[in-house]
Amino acid sequence: MTSRAHIAEVFMRGLYPVLIIASFWMLLRGHNAPGGGFIAGLMAVAASSAYALIFNSSKASKKMPLLPARLSVSGVLVALASGLPAVFQGLPYLSHPWWTLSLGGFKLSLSTVMLFDLGVYLAVWGAIGGICLHLIETIEENL
Amino acid sequence: MIWAVLIATGTVVATGIYLALSRDLFRCLIGLALLGNGINLVLFSSGRLNTQVPPIIKQAETTLHNAANALPQALVLTAIVISFALLCFSLVLAVRIIQLSGNDDILAIRQAEPPATDSIKPALEEEP
Amino acid sequence: MGRLSNNCKEARAPLANVFISCVPSLLFLGLILSLYHVPLPWTFVLPWVPSLNVDLDVYIDGLSAQFLLLITGIGSLVFFYARGYLAGHPKAKRLFILLVLFLFAMIGAVVSDNLLVLFVFWELTSVLSFLLVGFNHEDVGSRKSAQQAILVTGVGGLFLLAGFILLGEIAGTYSIQAFLHSPSVLINDSRLGVVLVLIFVGAFTKSAQFPFHFWLPNAMAAPTPVSAYLHSATMVKLGIYLLARLDTAFSDIIFWEYALVGTGTLTAVFAAVQTVYERDLKRILAWSTIATLGTLVMLVGLPGHGAALATVALFFAHALYKAPLFFVAGNLDHGAGTREIDKLTGMRHYMPWTATAALVAALSMAGLPLTFGFVAKDAISFAKAQAEVLHLVSYATVFVNVVSVAVAAIAAIHIFWGHDTIPRKSHPHEAPASMIIPPLMLVLCGIVFGLAPTLIDPLLGAAAKAMSPEFDATTVNMAYDLAPVIEVTLGTIALGLLVYLRWDWLHERLSRITFLEKVGPEGWYLAIMDTLPVIAARLTRIVQHGILPRYLMTMLVTVAVLLLVLLTAADPPWLWPPSTNLGVPVASASLLIIVGGLAACFVRDHLVLLLVGGLVGFGSAVLFMFTGAPDLALTQFFVETVFVVVVATVLVKLRRLKIRDRQVPLEPLIRPLDLFVAMAFSLIVVVLTLLVSALPFDAQLTDFYATRSLAEAHGRNVVNLILVDFRALDTLGEISVLFFSLIAVLPLLKRIGDKRP
Repeated sequence: MTSRAHIAEVFMRGLYPVLIIASFWMLLRGHNAPGGGFIAGLMAVAASSAYALIFNSSKASKKMPLLPARLSVSGVLVALASGLPAVFQGLPYLSHPWWTLSLGGFKLSLSTVMLFDLGVYLAVWGAIGGICLHLIETIEENL
Repeated sequence: MIWAVLIATGTVVATGIYLALSRDLFRCLIGLALLGNGINLVLFSSGRLNTQVPPIIKQAETTLHNAANALPQALVLTAIVISFALLCFSLVLAVRIIQLSGNDDILAIRQAEPPATDSIKPALEEEP
Repeated sequence: MGRLSNNCKEARAPLANVFISCVPSLLFLGLILSLYHVPLPWTFVLPWVPSLNVDLDVYIDGLSAQFLLLITGIGSLVFFYARGYLAGHPKAKRLFILLVLFLFAMIGAVVSDNLLVLFVFWELTSVLSFLLVGFNHEDVGSRKSAQQAILVTGVGGLFLLAGFILLGEIAGTYSIQAFLHSPSVLINDSRLGVVLVLIFVGAFTKSAQFPFHFWLPNAMAAPTPVSAYLHSATMVKLGIYLLARLDTAFSDIIFWEYALVGTGTLTAVFAAVQTVYERDLKRILAWSTIATLGTLVMLVGLPGHGAALATVALFFAHALYKAPLFFVAGNLDHGAGTREIDKLTGMRHYMPWTATAALVAALSMAGLPLTFGFVAKDAISFAKAQAEVLHLVSYATVFVNVVSVAVAAIAAIHIFWGHDTIPRKSHPHEAPASMIIPPLMLVLCGIVFGLAPTLIDPLLGAAAKAMSPEFDATTVNMAYDLAPVIEVTLGTIALGLLVYLRWDWLHERLSRITFLEKVGPEGWYLAIMDTLPVIAARLTRIVQHGILPRYLMTMLVTVAVLLLVLLTAADPPWLWPPSTNLGVPVASASLLIIVGGLAACFVRDHLVLLLVGGLVGFGSAVLFMFTGAPDLALTQFFVETVFVVVVATVLVKLRRLKIRDRQVPLEPLIRPLDLFVAMAFSLIVVVLTLLVSALPFDAQLTDFYATRSLAEAHGRNVVNLILVDFRALDTLGEISVLFFSLIAVLPLLKRIGDKRP
């Protein structure tokens, strides 16, 4: 292993968590500023792809919270589930109710819309990331 | 100003079609990508381009004023992601085809229309 | 164990058949009882497709009732007969099911008051006729005949549908009764001729009129009960039913009269001549059926009450003598193993009951006094006298009658009388009771009604009234006076017997004239059937050439032409969009895109092409950035990055494979035709975008989102709110698509990994 590649690996090891945290921040701020589930998901995909380029794609898949297909399907399920509370409240499916939690002077507004956005994020990361990583993996191993 | 964007759109659409009409599988793929890009531009610019202000409600206000049209943006955003998934799928298909036929010439791919085997059906046109 | 269950199955099947075969009898009895107690017409409505104004309007008058009686009455006997005919046949149950379905389709067709519903049942009878003619589907002849039957009647059905729709649109109603009560809208419409021709084609194909007659003799490939039922008594009469049904509206039109009288007469004469060509009893009967159908069409066309009465009388008479003759043909097939008249003589020694039925049916067919056939012939001559037909038509009728006398003589005398001199392997034997009773019952009816025709005066009167409303049904008196017609009858019978005696001689003479087979309508049919597959194959090859770029080109040119046509048709205001200054960044982003796009056309190396393509993507991202779409810019930026990285990895690996000799380019860099199409298409797209941009902006939706976002969705990024809140269900669909694209890719990748073909 050349030292240059070694430097890249060390660099990537540090950069990857930063990128994932950044993508998560992108997800959270999406409600009021540029960002949101799609962009954050694609950002995470970019992070995973970069990781796969420096190391290899199976390591990159392991770095994801779940295996890509599972991540993707859990994202879809989270998004599906996020519409249910509205139904229990007698509202149409996928209309997003808001609640305000008071935690000792600090007010926190919560809504199922965040859950939905999280679902989008996970589904995009899992699906697109899965396709890219699996493709690179297959190509590297077989061609 | 619209004309600059329109010329760019036209160029991308034309290039996309031109590449998609190619015999080279990979050029087709890039053509598909560019065509999608061009159509996104069409969609986006038909929502009117007249401001640089993003459709984000300012802190002091409760409604959006004099900002860009949000609706085509939402459409195009999903279109970009979906066309990316489509491209990835096409890429995998292309790799599979190349692996199967050992060739990236589209005219060499004849699995779907094999040559005639009976007397009624005329033979396929000879490959150019 | 398996054998046991098999036996059980075999024991069960006939029971089901017995049950099914009772269906028409029950219907028949119910019908008779109702006719006695409830006066005609009967009407009721079942809503079906209200949006299309299609209801199951049921209207039963005398004409329908007569058909219903024939359908269920003959049906009862046919079902009874079929139980004997197909005893032990492995597919007997199938035949019964098809026959029951046919029974109901036929009932539906004659009771429906809605043209479209009538059409549906009409086509159902065609389909069932196809299945029944092809009952012995292992036999290639049966299959061909079935195909011919459904193609001829099916194509005719399409003409009929067109005629019905045109009629319905012009008349403003699809209800037959409503139309018959006020036909003047259609009568005075210039499209009347088209409607009539379309309906004629439909009715003539169904009722085997020249030149669409040829399918009927071939349909004799069906089992005999089917021939007796569908192709003699009921289905082929459906065309005549339709013509009779519409007769009141059109009878004053010269074209209607001439077309029906002309076609009917031509068909009758042609079929009479063709009869002599045949040696198979069933085919002889088929041609004589066509001759009768021709006569019926002619009678429908003739004006006057007498013609209406003659039509319904002949309907009845024909059912009463032709069905038994078909049964006789089936019994001969069953008992002697052949239907060839050359191999059948003196059969009465073996089959006395069948011989009796044949003789009585033949007497009626020949129109001898004291049979119902005579009553019908009497009514026909009265109708012709009343309508003052051309002499030609009269001569034609006489000719047809002469031939039918000869056919009757063949069926009764030639086959059953004389001595059996033909050497056979086994002795012919009489058919079982279930195959003798039906023909005997029918011929008995023929005799009863022949002796006392006044018995069915009310029924025939009611049926005739449906065709001729001013007709006073109470005046019907079918009682006849022998004296005035006896000479004509005797003359016809004498001539018929002469033809019968010279039958073999005539057959030999006529068989030398073969040109009719080659140039006749059946020749055209065969020529079409031979040419169609060849044309289809050629066309398929032209359309399905297997060259991907050419498919794409076809689509593009089609879309472009469509767009151009729509554009010129819509003729929008040709305006230049209002100018806005977006500044240098947008201009430079556009320039970046243009450079990338142009370069992509002329780059050969794949990796360079990918990078140049990426340039377009990044240019778009910059464009989005400076036109107020930061979300789009971010999305495009990440997508482009990932795409370039992934594809570059794949390309580098593929390059290592050396899949193709890169020294030989696949194609020239500049392909003028492709370039032209691409530019033309993009020009249309650009012009469209320009025109759209020049139109006044409809801000309704944009304002909706602008004002509601914070208030209802509690967010400030409107783009994101549209995605996750306002249109969340769409987004849910979209992420599911993403997930499914992964699911689609995984097995493909696995195959690539396994290196499986």
